[in-house]
Amino acid sequence: MLVIVAKLVARRLLAAVPILLVVSALLFCVLRLLPVDPAAMSLPTTATIAEIEAKRREMGLDRPLPEQYLIWLSDALHGNFGRSIQFGREAGSLVAATLPATIQLAGAAMVLAAIFGLGGGLLLFHLRGTWFEAVTDIVSILLLSIPEFLWGLILLFVFGVALHALPFTGAVSPNLPQPHVTGFLLIDALLVGRLDVFASAFRHLILPALALGLAFSPAIMRVLRSSLFDVYHEDYIQQARLRGLSERQILLGHALKNAALPTLTLAGVQFGILFSGTLLVEVIYSYPGMGNLMVDAVRNADLPLIEAIGLTYCVAVLLINTVVDSLYVVLNPKLRVR
Amino acid sequence: MLALEARDLTVSARIGAATVPAIRALSFQLAPGKILGLVGESGAGKTMVGRAIAQLLPPGFAITAGALLFEGEDLLTMAPARRRALLGRAIAFIPQAPMTALNPVLTIGAQFDEHLARLGLKSRNARRERAIAMLTAAHLPRAEDLLTQYPHQLSGGMCQRALIALAFAGNPRLVVADEPTTALDVTMHPPILHLIAEMQRQHGTAVIFITHDLRLAAQLCDDVIVMYAGRAVESGPARTVFATPAHPYTRCLQLANPAMSAERRTLYVLPDQMPSLVQLQHIAGCHFAPRCPLVTAECHREEPPQVAVTAVHTVTCIRAADTFGISTAGRSFGPPALLEQPLLRVENLSKHFAISRGLFGAARTVAAVNDVSFTIAENEFVALVGESGSGKSTIARLLVGLEQPSSGRIVFDGADLTTPSLRNRTRRAASLQMVFQDPQSALNPRRPIASIVTQAMEAGSRHASAEDRLKRTKELLAEMGMPADIAARLPGQLSGGQRQRINIARALCRVPKVLIADEIVSGLDVSIQAQLLSLLARLRAELGFAMLFISHDLSVVRHLCSRVLVMYRGEIVEQGPVEEVFGNPQHPHTQALLSSVPPDEPGATWPLLRAN
Amino acid sequence: MAGSLAHALRSPRVLLALAMVLGLGVCAIFAGFIAPHDPGEQNLLSILTPPAWAPDGDPSFLLGTDSLGRDVLSRLIYGARTAMLVAVFASFGAMIIGTILAHIAGYFGGAVDWIIGRLVDVWMSFPPVILSLILMVGLGVGLDRVILAIVLVDWTRFCRVLRSEVLIVRRHDYVAAARLLGFSHWQTIVREILPATLPLLITLFSLEMAIAVVVEAILSFVGLGVGPNQAAWGQMIADARQYVYQSPWNLLLPIFAIFFAVAAFNLLGDGLRRTLDVRLAQAER
Repeated sequence: MLVIVAKLVARRLLAAVPILLVVSALLFCVLRLLPVDPAAMSLPTTATIAEIEAKRREMGLDRPLPEQYLIWLSDALHGNFGRSIQFGREAGSLVAATLPATIQLAGAAMVLAAIFGLGGGLLLFHLRGTWFEAVTDIVSILLLSIPEFLWGLILLFVFGVALHALPFTGAVSPNLPQPHVTGFLLIDALLVGRLDVFASAFRHLILPALALGLAFSPAIMRVLRSSLFDVYHEDYIQQARLRGLSERQILLGHALKNAALPTLTLAGVQFGILFSGTLLVEVIYSYPGMGNLMVDAVRNADLPLIEAIGLTYCVAVLLINTVVDSLYVVLNPKLRVR
Repeated sequence: MLALEARDLTVSARIGAATVPAIRALSFQLAPGKILGLVGESGAGKTMVGRAIAQLLPPGFAITAGALLFEGEDLLTMAPARRRALLGRAIAFIPQAPMTALNPVLTIGAQFDEHLARLGLKSRNARRERAIAMLTAAHLPRAEDLLTQYPHQLSGGMCQRALIALAFAGNPRLVVADEPTTALDVTMHPPILHLIAEMQRQHGTAVIFITHDLRLAAQLCDDVIVMYAGRAVESGPARTVFATPAHPYTRCLQLANPAMSAERRTLYVLPDQMPSLVQLQHIAGCHFAPRCPLVTAECHREEPPQVAVTAVHTVTCIRAADTFGISTAGRSFGPPALLEQPLLRVENLSKHFAISRGLFGAARTVAAVNDVSFTIAENEFVALVGESGSGKSTIARLLVGLEQPSSGRIVFDGADLTTPSLRNRTRRAASLQMVFQDPQSALNPRRPIASIVTQAMEAGSRHASAEDRLKRTKELLAEMGMPADIAARLPGQLSGGQRQRINIARALCRVPKVLIADEIVSGLDVSIQAQLLSLLARLRAELGFAMLFISHDLSVVRHLCSRVLVMYRGEIVEQGPVEEVFGNPQHPHTQALLSSVPPDEPGATWPLLRAN
Repeated sequence: MAGSLAHALRSPRVLLALAMVLGLGVCAIFAGFIAPHDPGEQNLLSILTPPAWAPDGDPSFLLGTDSLGRDVLSRLIYGARTAMLVAVFASFGAMIIGTILAHIAGYFGGAVDWIIGRLVDVWMSFPPVILSLILMVGLGVGLDRVILAIVLVDWTRFCRVLRSEVLIVRRHDYVAAARLLGFSHWQTIVREILPATLPLLITLFSLEMAIAVVVEAILSFVGLGVGPNQAAWGQMIADARQYVYQSPWNLLLPIFAIFFAVAAFNLLGDGLRRTLDVRLAQAER
């Protein structure tokens, strides 16, 4: 079993390499078509035409596009994405500094989305055939219509502005120190033994994680419910009833394992989108993650930074897909044994 | 004490505001250790009886009257918890479709373990031992390995054996088997039936055996009940009922079934079909009266009483005395002239499919069809028989050009049709047509009937006028013996038999010279099958086409075709005139196929079932 | 198809959703007649006035004004025009590209399918928000650019879901039968397959409109949307965020407007899915 999963993960990662190459090439091309000159942007406005030309040569911008791409690619493979135009620092190090905060937020949100999604799906299924069914169905569609950035604003308004219940700017109170060991604030606070920092960071995480969790759970909810509906039409459920199993045994022992498969497929797609959904939530809550950095970079046409962050998001999505695919194989014997 | 007794059991369905009885006042007695057969076509209400025992009726159905006593206790008034406690222990079920009746994500071992734990086996090891013992008793080799396998790794026959073992694991006193062999290949029927009979004898179990196959019921069952539209029309000892049928329906069904032995005769064609529940509301008197050859005015007036033919044989008919007079004429099948120049010639045809094994594995190929040669003469009906996966359907798809052969030639009327050129496609469209197995899939549900049957007239760049198409629709429907007003309907509004006629009509629109028919009567009820077989015989006489008739049903082949090709694992292992091949089969597979059919005579013994 | 559409029109859910969409459509088309003010007109003497029914309300600004003294109601109505333009044209464009590729891939299979499939894989590994942001950097702001960006991002939604539907339809024997009767590939796709995928297509189109509304709002919110001269809900939210203590109405009204539009299209999509009997496990969102 482990061997099969390991083989599959290896194969998926290998398959991701050409995808990443194409993705990076596309990214590079789109950004090179811009009517902005990276050379001019990296110099003070007082620079002369000759200085800009020199800079262009230095940056390799006078060579043909494929060659530029190969130079950029070989640099990128060495972790060198070039200097951020606005911050003047290595783009790679900027990404590395902000990525843990984003992973922490996305991880918390995925846990919440999974809990709400599975719980809600079971509840919706439990209410089938009752008067509540139509109501919950409409409600779940309405919930589906609130994207993460609306949830972010609504929660910010209700719990932050109106009720003053929870903080809504930054990752931790500004008057507390920010320990830096692994980069993950919650873990680092515990590592240095600052429970007050941990508590503050935790409270700061609640609203943004909740916004993402609430936005991505309705789809999981609805798929779990409809998968359960489908599974209950299968012969083996009827046959389990004819063997005298209780409804509880049928749901937990037979139906849920089968309904988990389509649910997992959708959750994989959802979690990929969720990871990038952190971007808006970070902007709304001024959360110091990769998303805020991206918006800064985009507004200032900071090409090296955009390339580095864009590629990081793609890698994250491909990794999430790999994990979900492996889980799918673990759960589905038809793919595991022939 | 009786194992099961039904007293005036009535199951009703809600249709709009009305309630219609789907089973009407059914009574029977089943003694321990006996097999009771419920026999009839689909819609007769057989399956509903099995579901009533478990009280798992489809939505809209309810038991409205009567009693169903299991060992003297009424299942209908019993507390649900008590009834559930009986299921799986005292009462067990063997399903119709074994491949889908096992949970695909659980191993066979896990499903046995769960069931045996419910039966009260405490220790995990004891459960494992018991599971291995039960699987071995069901003649499954390497039972230990089986426990770690998943249903998709097993064949249909193996799944059914595992399910039979599961059913008998609790030492049940009653087993309900609903068409347990219908979904399996023909050669799997005798061993599965033999296993059920063996288990039933060992455990002294009472069995309710639901089937559409009269010959099978005669062999397996002690008693039978023939059902029609929710009523028991005839009941008694199996061999007596089928040797001396007293109800016209039983007699007509027997005569509608092609024979495997004796002279070939025309089939009895019952008009129309079993009434649906909606139609049943409007039928007064005997339900069978609208289709009955012996009908009198009195039959329409009131429901017929139950009449005793002998002490154990009863019939629900007032004209039972005349039933034996229903008969069909013997028929001579003039052997079609075998022309020197065959119309269709297939030479050394092979088809290999590549099974890709991922990015790095080497590609393997399997031969679905291997070096097959045969001919079909003008106006000749040739049968292609074999089990599922033997390559029959691949041959059909190769002939019509849906697949390209790996090697070999297809020669039609002297011209080579092998290459997929536009010219060959056009030639094929005009002279070589195919009728697909499943009309549900073969008829576009969005096209009206008129548009389907004349679809050939809108192909390519030339379009026929609406009047031309309407005219041709009327001709085709008349030829199929269907009313013209059907033209505006959609396929979903037709019955299964009607759809299959439309399916045939579409292929005949441009009057092809050869028809490829892929299992076109399998899955249809006997009376509908008889209608279609008669239709095909008549159309051949009128239109003069040849046919490659693909089937797994040897009695149908014997009735319709003059020559037969037997296929086994992609190769034609035997071919020749039907009488010769069936009378003196040479290849072991042909022999196995032939012995899988129960004998015609209810009194005859079927060696495969009785053998130990 | 006509019959099932008529059937869909009898569902209360579809009717409610259609009424909501119609309301938005009327706002969008007749914005010039309905809106009491010019959406860009600034009244620097009355900034951040509350709605007319509040104590300090001004009856000439029914829903109050924003930080530049612009009429909120008028901006909401013109914002509906922006949102609807984007929703209709972006969804239509994404549908055309996605549908054509899906039918080609699903029908012909083989190498064509493989290439289109890998193309979708590459596209899907870009998270939609990130891809649209990057495209907006390349394309620059403006209504037409927003539409183009959404088309370029979201054609994969149609392609992926429709391709698997085409594969299912293609397995039906009536498709093979059409070929045997002499239909060309083109005739087979248009007359046999497309009618079968049409219900799913319509449903997806409705759901895509909801997505397009959200994406337009997001892009406008981060300042890379239709541009500063055009009223857009996302922009209104971005402006109002800074004055959320003084004037919560300015934040809540555009939030509700976006929710209303998205819910309308989602309800319509779900209603159509039910009444047109569409299999849609993967396309719930």
